[in-house]
Formats: sequence, C-alpha cells, structure tokens
Amino acid sequence: MNKKLQALIGAGAMAVSAMAMSAAQAAETIKVGVLHSLSGTMAISETTLKDTVLMLVDDLNKNGGLLGKQVEAVVVDPASDWPLFAEKARELIEQEQVDVVFGCWTSVSRKSVLLVFEELNSMLFYPVQYEGEESSRNVFYTGAAPNQQAIPAVDYLMSEDGGSAERIVLLGTDYVYPRTTNKILRSYLNGKGISDEDIMENYTPFGHSDWQSIVADVKAFASAGKKTAVVSTINGDANVPFYKELANQGIKAEDIPVVAFSVGEEELAGIDTAPLVGHLAAWNYFQSVESDANSAFIEKWHAFIGDESRVTNDPMEATYIGFNMWKQAVEQAGTTDVDAVRQAMYGQEVANLTGGTAVMNTNHHLSKPVLIGEVQDDGQFDIVWETEGTVVGDAWSDFLPESAKLTADWTYPWVCGNCEKPMY
Amino acid sequence: MTDYRQKYQMTPVIGWLLKDRGGMILLGILIAAAILVPLSNLLLPESSAFHVPTWMVSLLGKYLCYALLALSVDLIWGFCGILSLGHGAFFALGGYAMGMYLMRQIGDRGVYGDPILPDFMVFLNWQELPWYWYGFDMFWFAIVMAMFVPGLLAFVFGFLAFRSRVTGVYLSIITQAMTYALLLAFFRNDMGFGGNNGLTDFKDLLGYSLQSDGTRAGLFVASCVFLGVCYVLARGITQSRLGKVLIAIRDAESRVRFTGYRVEYYKLFVFTVSAVMAGIAGALYVPQVGIINPGEFAPALSIEIVIWVAVGGRGTLYGAVLGAFIVNYAKTFFTGAMPDFWLFFLGGLFIAVTLFLPKGVIGAVPAFGSADRQSIITAWRKRRANEGGKA
Amino acid sequence: MYATVLFTLGFGASALWRCLSVRLGLTILYFIFPFAFKGLVIMRNDMFSMLRRSPFCIQQARKAVLGFGMLFACLLIFATALPKGAMAYSDEELRIVAEGLNAKSATTKIKVIEEMAADGDPRVAPILRAMLEGDLYVRESDEHIVITRKQGKVYTHIDIVSGEEVGESGSGEISKIKVNNRLRGVLRDALATLNLFSPDLTTRTNAVEQIMDARDPAMLPLLLRAIDREENETLLARMELARATMALAAGETTEERLAAIEVLSSETTPQIRAVLSQFVASAEAEGYEPEVVAAAEDALESVEGRLSTWQTVGDVYRGISLGSVLLLAAVGLAITFGVMGVINMAHGEMIMIGAYTTFMVQQALGSFLPSGSAWSLVISVPAAFLVAGAVGVVIERCVIRFLYGRPLETLLATWGVSLVLQQAIRTIFGATNQQVTAPDFMSGAIEFSTGLVLTYNRLWIILFSIIVVAGIAAVLRYTAFGLQMRAVTQNRRMAGSVGIRTGYVDALTFGLGSGIAGIAGVALSQISNVSPNLGQTYIIDSFMVVVFGGVGNLWGTVLGAFSLGIVNKFLEPMAGAVLAKIFVLIALILFIQKRPKGLFALKGRAVEA
Repeated sequence: MNKKLQALIGAGAMAVSAMAMSAAQAAETIKVGVLHSLSGTMAISETTLKDTVLMLVDDLNKNGGLLGKQVEAVVVDPASDWPLFAEKARELIEQEQVDVVFGCWTSVSRKSVLLVFEELNSMLFYPVQYEGEESSRNVFYTGAAPNQQAIPAVDYLMSEDGGSAERIVLLGTDYVYPRTTNKILRSYLNGKGISDEDIMENYTPFGHSDWQSIVADVKAFASAGKKTAVVSTINGDANVPFYKELANQGIKAEDIPVVAFSVGEEELAGIDTAPLVGHLAAWNYFQSVESDANSAFIEKWHAFIGDESRVTNDPMEATYIGFNMWKQAVEQAGTTDVDAVRQAMYGQEVANLTGGTAVMNTNHHLSKPVLIGEVQDDGQFDIVWETEGTVVGDAWSDFLPESAKLTADWTYPWVCGNCEKPMY
Repeated sequence: MTDYRQKYQMTPVIGWLLKDRGGMILLGILIAAAILVPLSNLLLPESSAFHVPTWMVSLLGKYLCYALLALSVDLIWGFCGILSLGHGAFFALGGYAMGMYLMRQIGDRGVYGDPILPDFMVFLNWQELPWYWYGFDMFWFAIVMAMFVPGLLAFVFGFLAFRSRVTGVYLSIITQAMTYALLLAFFRNDMGFGGNNGLTDFKDLLGYSLQSDGTRAGLFVASCVFLGVCYVLARGITQSRLGKVLIAIRDAESRVRFTGYRVEYYKLFVFTVSAVMAGIAGALYVPQVGIINPGEFAPALSIEIVIWVAVGGRGTLYGAVLGAFIVNYAKTFFTGAMPDFWLFFLGGLFIAVTLFLPKGVIGAVPAFGSADRQSIITAWRKRRANEGGKA
Repeated sequence: MYATVLFTLGFGASALWRCLSVRLGLTILYFIFPFAFKGLVIMRNDMFSMLRRSPFCIQQARKAVLGFGMLFACLLIFATALPKGAMAYSDEELRIVAEGLNAKSATTKIKVIEEMAADGDPRVAPILRAMLEGDLYVRESDEHIVITRKQGKVYTHIDIVSGEEVGESGSGEISKIKVNNRLRGVLRDALATLNLFSPDLTTRTNAVEQIMDARDPAMLPLLLRAIDREENETLLARMELARATMALAAGETTEERLAAIEVLSSETTPQIRAVLSQFVASAEAEGYEPEVVAAAEDALESVEGRLSTWQTVGDVYRGISLGSVLLLAAVGLAITFGVMGVINMAHGEMIMIGAYTTFMVQQALGSFLPSGSAWSLVISVPAAFLVAGAVGVVIERCVIRFLYGRPLETLLATWGVSLVLQQAIRTIFGATNQQVTAPDFMSGAIEFSTGLVLTYNRLWIILFSIIVVAGIAAVLRYTAFGLQMRAVTQNRRMAGSVGIRTGYVDALTFGLGSGIAGIAGVALSQISNVSPNLGQTYIIDSFMVVVFGGVGNLWGTVLGAFSLGIVNKFLEPMAGAVLAKIFVLIALILFIQKRPKGLFALKGRAVEA
C-alpha cells in the first residue's frame, strides 16, 4: 500500500516539477543551457567551461541583456555519464525550453546528445578540439578540427625550427580522437616521406598512471640516431603522471620534443613545469597571447572567479567565440528561433582573443589561427610559431580516402553535412 | 514465517502470486502504466493536464530497465547471498548485442555510406566485418545473443567460481575484476566495438524509427511487460523448492552442503538466470537511450545497482524495483535542481538508508517490513553483531 | 686555463676558414628556408581555402622584404664580427655580436651562436648558458643584452661584458630572448665544444657525452685534440669510445674500422646499438669490406644480448616500483578491510585527503619558507596521517560502528561517504588539479649508460612503502594497541569481557587504516594528479591487491602488490598497457579459483563464521 503511496509521491513530484518548469518558462528570459560535467572524471576540465559560460551570461546581462531580455543560464550536471548526457540534453530542451546549449567535452558525450539535438532541432555549441569527421546541422564546432591543430604542429616538428624530426612517436589515450588524429597524421607523414618504421604508435587506457615503461620505450626508439619527436594525444588525467615521468627520466625538449594537443594551461597547473621547458602544445589560443581582448578577458575571468591564479585556456576561448557569435546571430536575426539563428550564424564574424577575427563557415567549423607554444617554467606557453592568418576548420579530413570525398556545407545548394554532391 | 511458506509451497502459481501483496501492487502498477502512459502520450493533446510528454516516456522506460537490472541483482543477492559487483557487465553485454543489431540496421545511411561496415570501422580502416558481427542483422539473432552471451559468461564464470567455493567478498571482488577487465577490453578500438564512443547514431528498430513517439511508447510497453514477466519468474523461483534451498544457502552455505545438496549447481542456476535477466534489461535499455558504450561496464555502475537494491529493500524483489526508481529519480532530479551539490544528497541518502533503514525503504513500511525476508540465522547474526558493537 | 684560451684561438682561426667557405652556402640556405617553409603553409592553405590566397601574397611580399632586411642585418654582423673572429672580442664587439642573439629568425641566431662559440672568448660560455636556460633578456631602456637572475618578482641584471650586476627591474622592462628546441640543441653543442677544454672534470665529461649523442663527424678533429690533452683515465676511455662511434663510418682504412668495432663491442648502450645497426644497414650501399661487416654484426649481436638483459632488469625495477605504489595504496585497506572486515569504499578518498593535506602544507609553508619544499614533504607525512586518521575516526564513530557484522552494508554506507567526500573536496578546492611540487631530493634520476633509468621519486616511494609496512607490522606486533586490536578482531566479546574497550579500539583501528591511506596520498601526490578523482584511480586496484594477497594478512598484501606489479610490467612491453592490465585481471580471477581465500588464507574455524 505504502509502496503505491511512494510511487504516487514520486510521480507527483515529477509532474509538479514539470509544471513548475513550464510555468517558469513563461517569464521573459532567454534561456541558455549549460551541459558540462561537474562531477566524475571530466569535471576537472569541464567545470571551468561552465564557469566561463556563467561569466559570459553575467556580462551580457550587465550590458542590458539580449533583445531587451535578460539571459538565464540553466546548469545541469551530466556527471561524466554519457547516457545521462542524452537524458539531460532532452531535459534542457524539452522541459526547460532553452534556446541554445553550450556543452560537452568528450566526443562520446557529443555523439550521445547529437541525436537528441537533431530530433528536437535545437542548437549545441561544442567548444573542444576534436577528431573531425562530423558536421551536424544542429551543432556548431568552435574547437579545432585536426587540420587546425595536428597538421600544423607536425609541420612545425619537421621544420628546421622545430628540430627537423624524422622519427615520430604517436602517443595517445585509446579513444576515437587520438585514433583518428593519428590515422590522419600517419597518412600525412607517409606523404612527407616518413616511412611506417619511423612511426611508433602507442595507446594507453584512460587515466593511465604508470608511464615508466612507455617513456623508456620512447627513449629506446629515439636512440636510433634519427631526430625523434613525440606527438601526444594523451587525454586529461593521464597527462600529469606522464609529464612527471618525462621530467624525472630526464627527457629534454631539445632531445625529444613532445607536442601535445590536449595539454593547455589548465592541465599544466598541476605540474612543476621547470623540467618541461621547451615541450610544445598546439592550440588556437594561449593565455600568453598579447592582445587587448585577451588582457580584458583574463581580467574579467579573474574578477569573476575571484582567484588571480586561475588560468585561461583554448576551450574557454572557443566558448567565448561561440557565445559571442550566438549573441550576434540572435541580434541579427531578431529572434532566438533556432532556424533563423542558424542562418544568421553563417559568415558571422567575432573578434577572437588572439587579436584576429573568427569566422563561422558553412560547414559549422570556425576559421582560426593556429599557434604553437613552448612550455615555460611558470606554467605558461611562449608562442614560437603561428600561421599567417587563419585556417579554415575542415570537417572531413583530406588525408583519409573515404572522408576526403565528403563535403559539409549547410547552405544552398549543398545543405548537407556529409555529401559527395549537392542536395539541390 | 516458515509456516507461511510451507502453507503455500504446494499451491499453484496463482496461489503464491495472490499472497504476494507487494508483487500484486507492482504488477498492477506495471499493467496500468503500460496501458495509460502510451495512451496519454499518443492520444491526449499536449495541452492536456494528463498528457505524458515524450521525454518522460523514455525516462520512465530507462528507469524500468534499471528496475529489471536491480531485480536480477536482488534475485542472487537477496535470495542466495551472492553479492555480484559486476552485474553491469551482463547488462552491458545485452546492450551491446542490441546495439550491434541497431548498428547493422543503419545500413548505408551512415556518414560514409558503407552498406555493411559501421562508420567507426570505416574510418579505422577495417576492410571487412569481423566474424562476431555476423548474424546481427537479424533481430531474432540479436535478441538470442542478448540473452545467450551474458548467460554463457555467467555460466562459465559461475561454474569456475562456485565449484572452487569462492564466496563472500572474494566473489564480489572477482566479479568486479571481471567487469573491469571487460571495461578495459571494450575501450580498445581494436576490439571492433567502437571503443570509447561505443555504438550510437541508431536509426530504427524493426523498421520503426527510434525517434518516433510510437516506437518510444512501444519500447516502454515492452519494458513494462519484460519487467512484469521477469518479476513473476523470479518470484516463482524463490517460492519453489529450489528457492528454499537458495535461501538456505544464503543463510548457512556449509550446512546445506553437509546435508547433501550440491550447492554450486543451485548457485550456478540462479546466477545464470539473473545474468540473462540483466542482459534483457540491457537490450531494452539501448534503443531507449540511443547509445551503448564501455561506460556501462564501469565498476561504479555495478556498485550503484547493489545500492538501488539496498535502498529499496533487499530480498523482496519488489523492493529492488522501488529502489531503482527512487535512486534514479533522485539522480535525475538533483543533477538538474542542484548540479553543484547533488552528490551530497545522493551520498547522504545512501548513508541514511543504511543506518536508519537497514531493511530498505520497503522495510520501513510495517505491512512489508516483517515479510519473509529474514531467516532465524540472519536475525541471530544481526543480534550478535549488535551486541558486539555495543560491548 | 691560459693554454685553453690559446688553443681555442687556434681553433677559432681554422673555424673561420670553415665559416667563410660555408657562408655562401648558408646564405643561400637561409634565403630559401623561409620560402620553402612558407610554401608549405601556402600549399596547405590552398587545400582548405581558395579565398585567402590574395592577402597571403601581400603578406608573402612583406615577409620577403623583411627577409632581405634580416639578411642584410645578418651580413652586417658577419662583416663586423668575422674579420676579428680569431681573437677574443673587445668589449664593444662582444656587445654588438651578442645583439645578434636577439635576431628575429632562428637561423640568424644560430649563425651568431656558432660564431660566438668559435671565437673562444671565455665570456661567451656564460652568455650561451644563460640563453639556454632562458635567462638572457634585452633591457628595453638601452637595448643592451643582459643575463638576469630572478628572485621573486625582481630580476637582477648582469652585464654580459663585465659580468657585474648593473641594476634590477620587474618583468615589464625587459624582454626575453626567445629560444626554441632547435636553438637549444645548437646552444648545447656549442657549449659542449667550449666545455671540452674546461678545467672542470664534470663539465668535460658532460661535454663528451654530449658529443657522443650528437655524433657529428665535424667534431672529430676537435675530439682528437681533446684526447691528446686528456689525463683522466676514465674520461679518456669515454673519449675513445666517442671517437670510435665517429670513426666507424668516417674511418679511412679497414684496420681503423675494425679497431672502432672492437672498442664499440665492449660497450652496452642503446646509442652504440644504433651506431652499429646503422652501420650494418648501410654496409651494402657504402660498400664496406665483408670482414668489417661481419665483425660489426657480431658486435651488434653481443651488444643486443647484453641490452636485453638490462631490459629485463629494467622491467623488474619498474614492476617493483608499480608494486610499491599498489602496496601503499592497498596497505591501509588491508587494515580496514582485512582486519576489521569493513569494505571501505571511501578508502580512495582517504588517499585523496592525504594528497590534499600535502598540498595544504606546501601552501602554508610556501608563504614563509620558500625553499622549504623538501621539509614540506617531511611535515606532510605526519600531517596527512593525522588529518586522514581523524576523518577516519569520525566516519567510524558516526557511521561504521552501527554496521559491524554487516560487511556488505558497510560497502553501501562508505560508498555514500566517498561521494560526499569527493564533492566536499570539489566544493572547497575546485575540480581542477592542484600543484604539489617535488622537493629536490625527489627530482631527477640515476641514469645508467645502458638505458636503465632509476628515478629518484620512484626509489623514494619504494623505500617509503617498505618503511610504512615495517611500521605497521611493528605496531601490530609490539604495541599494546596492536595486541588489543588483534584481540578484538579475533574475538570481540571475549576481548570486551577482559576489559578491552572494543569501541575505542575499533575507532583507532579504523583511524590507523585511514591515516596510512593518508600517508599513501603524500607519496602518490608526487607521481599522480592531485584532484578529486585521485581516490577513484586506486580503489579498485587496492581491493584486487588485498584480495589477491588474502584478506587479513599483511604479508599477503605485500607479496600481492609486488607480484601484481611485476607481472604487469613484464606483460606491458609485449602486449601493451591495456592488454597487460586485462591479462592481470583475468589471471587474478583464475588464481582465486585455485586459492579461493587468496595467497595466504586464514585457517581455522573462524574463517567460516
């Protein structure tokens, strides 16, 4: 009997909460969903992005809001649990009726919510560098595609300034981003005359903490006489033990430089970087970039978070660009309607933090500059190389035969994310 | 208590079913939900106060799968004392079997348009379908595999473990090792199951689009039906003569062995049945959430399942169902309502239930609290322990 | 010292010739380089965007003009510097030449570095070393190049010419001379050349190792001269070896090559293996004599044989090291789980608390004891023990004491505790990693020439784990508390009736287990992330270790940890990290079938209860 009561209470609570939500939605605010993990393994990276969105919303409201309305951020915690991402996305869109969502970090979380966004025709801004091979009508990718990060970085390693590397070690965590990136890189390196025997590929599980053997292997591989460099797509948690081991085994950047695609200021915050000076990272933004927009952003961030020692990083810039682009597109369209905003997004230009302009292309990827930075002993990066102008993000890699033939273009006459010929 | 059981031991199925008050309520709710929820979702207009939105249908469907999973754990833990900390593995294997079928159903609608290979295989340069993917284009085969694979794994694992008389925490920890090893294995892209991303981007099931409200309602009904059927099956097992042996094993394994029973066979049977149920739960779960990935193998999930059962009330079957609903609803609610602090509430809930409701939420209700879940020996043990604690 | 200067002068003269003759080539190279590289960028950009070609052309033109300017500047430097290259610089010359180090292009910088190194002025080495270490700055007030020493936020300037302190400033008034990895390599080689004749033995030794790594045949004449002058026997042998690595390919006669192989075959380093295998691989193309090739193949085989032995030694060491980490993580659990029967899922969080305590201690000490990071670790050990132990006692008194005799329910409650603790840390410290610095005695490594590297932090952790286990064993065996603890776990009621306060002993035992987990956190903070997820990384492994070793047996835990560690590390080179771990787990499952109560099972009737 009481069991029934319990069930009734449960169902009642659900219904009440649902009704409360729909009542709130009638109020005159524009709702922005924030779908970043605040607990579990990814909290370490994603919490910062939640705070970034909150800061941007706060800022927008101080400056009079959007379309004359206040903007409200709706934060949920998908807890690094991928099916929960889909559930929470649905909750944000259907229950909370948000107009746009900023969120996700890992590829699997994006894949998990993708169908929800497509089904309900909502809009997601995804702020992290990723493996490409995707272009959804409902997602805007403001992080780097492989051609905006990996390929310039390898070019640099093979250049004279980067040390003329002839042997490359591809170290990665075993998931789709490193696998795809390394596959693209292998094909690219082969094209540059580096044979397969001069490429070593190694994958480790998530959160791998014992790097002794692998670092020793890299050392052995490098002792063959040719100049060797490491390309690291090691993810998140595993980086700190990796760099600590690297430093302790005495691998110096001038002997075996390591260029990383997932290591930014935030990741270095947990390491003493003095022994790592000279190792590299490739991003579209570094905190050390000297520009007025960047100093203003850093100042605002420190004021918002109340801690001068907090750093800024590339996904934060990607969030910043995405948010401002969305804001401009909404202003231009005069509505938050998803279809209207999407049309307004194409060609939208926003000042980025590195002193240039980011442009949203019709394949839903950005044009951004590529920077290569060297780790300094204060945990910051010193920019040693950058592209002339910006590089257009490429949804489908040109170095993989089956994806080279695909095109993503969401404007007439293509209107397609993965087509070999236009739809119309 | 013992009288109660003996009295209905020989009566036919209907007899014990009618006497199972909690079970009757559960089945009643399930039947009502299976009829009313889809009707109100599909027929009532959205403006109606009784309209159940689609998101709630899939959410409830997901809870039902978790409930079935909890039921399978309660069957072995509550009635046979086997604490499996690796039941998520069977759930995930069932899910992968269904996921493979759904993957094959995509056909040439994937991004690379390959008629046979799933997308992740295309971009990782697989030339042909690995042998273990054969047959998954047929629905019946996938369903059979969703039950057979977890069942087989449980059979082999149980055969080894129970024959060697691995019990208690040792068994719990090696089940955990099993699911952890599978987690690591499925993370590997070389395995051919999509690595960390798992299987996703599903289009349709038996020709019905997974995005349509009708399919969702259908899956919801299927979940209700399977939960109901499995409940009756589990109740049947526990009420039978075999069930009495199981309870005896739970309470004093050595004595049962000394009286001449082959304890390992009883355990093996119920462990395998439970794994098959978990596999079915997984197969129902995947089309409703749209993704299956190695995260489901995580030891933390398996521990959580045990907690659902404990929160609801161990050894009652319907308590497990209730526990799964309570904990998962709490999770859904708190992650939205207070995203920064919800772990305090969830953690607090677990501590409070263990301390203040040792028989779970069900046990707190007088009508159910004294049900047939406690034998004399466990009661004595508890008393002894309490005395010890106070001494 | 004087002789050194004289000699370097002589060498400088010969280097000048070399420089002059290659200068033309270098100039052409420099000219081509930016275009070759830019061309690559253009190609890539073309692939992705046709749109941006036109502004690119303009930029390209601008770059070309800049390039010419740079070339001109470069020539100017050469013009001023080179004619007097053979002599030590005058003060003014040194200043002008050094300004070239601030050139925009790395190629120009390299030329300046090589030219400065060839000059042999004793003041050059400190400048280059400062540049290598990133301490070389340009003062904005007078554009002078200065070496700086950083103290807090103040930079002390040291004049490169006089070597005296010439003022100080904040970071705003000076700008750093940028170096990249290519420059670092050049700088190190240049310094090696300078250091080969240093009066200091260690400096010379390092220089020889540097030359051996570089294997640049151009250094051979220099090395030969150094060999003539060297008196230290050990170093002389290394020099001969370095000579042999170069002579193998560069040698003129069969005898020279055979002699070189003879020298090489007695060595056991990965570099020698590389030298030999390269030689063998290129034998056909270069047309070496068959007997030389045969000798090289023999030598290669013997070197490889010895190296594989060392590889095994390395695997064992790494296995022991991993084992010691597992042991530290698990030994606290061996007490709470093994002795008390509490399935403590919050054990990992106790480790995490220990790591955060280390962080807090470093923060607290760092404010008034900047150089005290070595002490901070020493202080952290008792601090972490007390903090984690206190948390453990609180948990025991508030939660676990109500659950004795219901081990599986302690699992649920402690799982709840673990969630709460994780979230508490996340709320207080934030979700990001915290930095725990390594004290000097834990940084670096002992490197053997055979490629075996023993890092100090791992060595300390191995030692530390042994001390901790010995400590626990001593407490259990020799103290009154240990006796009471054993009594309570063996027979609670009997212990109570002879007057032992069982509740008090329970609380302290749980506190001890938690405190030891806290100590483990101090050690793990040195090799792992200090983040709210730290505990989750180790909890499963810890349970595996305790169960493998046998619940309730400390020595089982020790043996379990080390054997799991070593097996894992032996499998890893063969199967990769993921498969190795999977195999270890499967082996563990199968092992439990064989010994259902772990490695060291408790015997007797008590076990069945």
